[in-house]
Amino acid sequence: MTRSRDIRWLPGFSWVTLFFFVFLYAPLIILVVFSFNASRSATVWAGFSFEWYTKAFANDDIQRAATNSVIIAIFATIAATTIATMAALTLSRNKRVKGKPVFGGVLIFPLMIPEIVTAVATLTFFAAIGLSLGLGNIIIAHTVFCIPFAYLPIRARLDGMDESLEAAAQDLYASKFTTLRLITLPLLMPGIVSGAMLAFIISLDDFIITLMVAEAGSTTLPIYIYSLVRIGITPEVNAVSTVLLGFSVIVVTLSYVIGKKNKT
Amino acid sequence: MTSAVKIQALNKVYPGDVTALKSADLEIGDNEFFTLLGPSGCGKTTLLRLIAGFEEPTAGVLSLFGDDISTLPPEKRPVNTVFQHYSLFPHMSVFENVAFGLRRLGRSDKDAKARVEAMLDLVHLTDFAGRKPSQLSGGQQQRVALARALAPEPKVLLLDEPLSALDLKLRQSMRAELKRLQKDTGITFVFVTHDQEEALAMSDRIAVMSAGEIQQVGDPSAIYEHPENRFVAEFIGDANFLNATVAETTPSGTTYALDAGGTLTGPDQGRAKGEAVTLFFRPEKATLSQVGEGPNQLRCTVKDILYLGNSTDYWLALDHVTTLIVRSKNQTDGTVIADIGEQISLSLDPAALRILAT
Ligand SMILES: Nc1ncnc2c1ncn2[C@@H]1O[C@H](COP(=O)(O)OP(=O)(O)OP(=O)(O)O)[C@@H](O)[C@H]1O
Ligand SMILES: [Mg+2]
Repeated sequence: MTRSRDIRWLPGFSWVTLFFFVFLYAPLIILVVFSFNASRSATVWAGFSFEWYTKAFANDDIQRAATNSVIIAIFATIAATTIATMAALTLSRNKRVKGKPVFGGVLIFPLMIPEIVTAVATLTFFAAIGLSLGLGNIIIAHTVFCIPFAYLPIRARLDGMDESLEAAAQDLYASKFTTLRLITLPLLMPGIVSGAMLAFIISLDDFIITLMVAEAGSTTLPIYIYSLVRIGITPEVNAVSTVLLGFSVIVVTLSYVIGKKNKT
Repeated sequence: MTSAVKIQALNKVYPGDVTALKSADLEIGDNEFFTLLGPSGCGKTTLLRLIAGFEEPTAGVLSLFGDDISTLPPEKRPVNTVFQHYSLFPHMSVFENVAFGLRRLGRSDKDAKARVEAMLDLVHLTDFAGRKPSQLSGGQQQRVALARALAPEPKVLLLDEPLSALDLKLRQSMRAELKRLQKDTGITFVFVTHDQEEALAMSDRIAVMSAGEIQQVGDPSAIYEHPENRFVAEFIGDANFLNATVAETTPSGTTYALDAGGTLTGPDQGRAKGEAVTLFFRPEKATLSQVGEGPNQLRCTVKDILYLGNSTDYWLALDHVTTLIVRSKNQTDGTVIADIGEQISLSLDPAALRILAT
C-alpha cells in the first residue's frame, strides 16, 4: 500500500511530534552537557571536566539546602504514604463509608488546584494559626500535597487486588489486623513503594509552596538553585540540577517498575 | 441425623432491595455431601457466604451443630471455604498456604508441619510444597485450595463451584477425588454448583434453588425421578410435560385425558375426577415402535432426530403445540427406528408417569 493511501499516515503529524520531542529534551540535554564544561561559559564548550560537581559538593550552602530537602522529603513521604494507605484501604474496603467515589474525588482534587493558590492558602493558614516550626511547617505542607500522589498508585494496586484473598484469610481464622499484616499489606507493597517514591520526588522538587512557607534557615535545594540562577547561570547550577534530574529519573523509573511488578 | 448446619427462616436482602434468599429452611446432616444446585443468580453463593460469615443475615437463625453462630465473624466459625477462583495467597508457597489456618489457630510448628504434609499427601501434591501458586496448573491450584481449607479440620467445608474453572476431563477426575476426600475425612461438605450432572454424581442430598427459594431437597434419585414441581423437573435433566385432566380413577391407577388427545395411565395420586393436572416423564422412560395403538401409547409424528452418540433423541409432535422428546439407546445394529415425517407409537410404562404439583 502506498503511503498516501495508508490510513495510519497523516501528513505533517510526524514532524509536529518530532518538533515536540526536540523542544522537550533539547534544553535538558544542553543543561546536562554544559554541567561537564571545563570553562565558566554556559554557551561555549571548552572540554570535559568534573570541576563543577566538585565545587557544588564542596559548597556549604548547597549541602545545607540538600540536607533540608532530603529531611523534608523523608518525613513528608513517610507521613503522606501512611495516610494515603489508610485512606485507600478505607475508601475501597470499608462497607460503612457512604459516597466513596466522592471522597476519592475530593482526595485527588488538589492535583487540579493551581499550586500558587495552594501555596498562598497554606501560608495564610499557617500565619492565622501561628504555626512556626521551621522545617516542620514545610514538612506539614509537603505531607498534605504529597498525599494525592501517594494515594493514586496505592489505590490502583488495591483495586486490582482480589478481595476474596482477604476473605480467605479471615475464613482461615485470621483477625482483621492479622489479615492486614499478612495479606493486604504485603500484596499492596508495590503500590505503597511506588506511591512513596512518587511522593518523595514531588516533595524534593517542590518550589512554589516551599518558597511561600519556608522561613529563614529552611532553604531547600530548589529554592537555593533559584537564588543562584538569579545571580547568573553558572555551570555549578547545571551540575546541581543534573544531580537532581538524575536522581528524579532513577526514582520515578523505579517507582514505575515496582508499581508494575507482579500485577496479579 | 445430627444436623451440622441448620438454617431457619433465613433471609438475605442486599442493599438496593435485592432479595437473594427468601426465608430458607434447611438442615444439612453431619458427614453429608450436600449440594446446592440452581441457575445463576439464585442465591447459592449468598447462602454459602452466610454460613461462612461473610454476610450477615437480614433475618433468621443459623446454627452449627446446635450452636447459634449468626453473629460470629468468619474467623470465629469452625467452617472453611474453597473459593471459586481458589484465592490462594500469591506471595506464599504452597506449604505456607496450607499452613496458614493452622498457624492462626496457634498450632506448634512441628504439629503444623506434620498436618500440612498429611494434607499435601492427601491431595497428591507432596512434591509441590515449595512452589508458588502461580507455578501450578489450574487443577493443582484447586487441590491446594482444598488442602488449605481441610487442614484446620473444619466442622463444615464450603465449596463454591470449585470445579467450574477446570476443563471437562479434569473436572470429571476431580469429582471422584472430592467424593473420596469427603468420605475419607468425614467432614460435612456443602457444595455449590449449577451443573446438574455434577450434583447428581456427587451428592448424598441435593437442594434445588431458584430465585432465592429452596424448591426441593432430596437424594439424587428422588430429585431426578420424583421432582415436586416443574422447575425442578426441568432444571434436572430433560423433561416432557403434558396438560391433562383426570378421566377415571381405579384402585390400580388413574387414567388421564390429554389436552392434546389420547390417554395415559399412571399411578394414583389422589386427584379428583375432572381435575386439571400436569403430567411429566423423562425422555428415556418411553419407548418407540413402528406400530400399535394400545394402552399407554400415543401416536406421534417424528419432527427431528438428534444423534447423540450413545443415544438418539426423537422430537415428536403430538399435535401442533405439544412436542415430546424420547431418548432411545443406540443398540449395536444402528438402525434408525423412524425417519422424519413418519408416524410412530410412543409407549410409556405407567410407573414412569409423574403428576406434578402445578
Ligand atoms: N453484594 C451484593 N449486593 C447486591 N446484590 C447482590 C450482591 N451479591 C449478590 N447479589 C444478588 O443476589 C442474587 C444472588 O446472588 P448469588 O451470588 O448468591 O447467586 P449465585 O446463585 O451464586 O449465582 P452464580 O451461579 O452466578 O454464582 C443475585 O441477584 C445477585 O445479583
Ligand atoms: Mg455464585
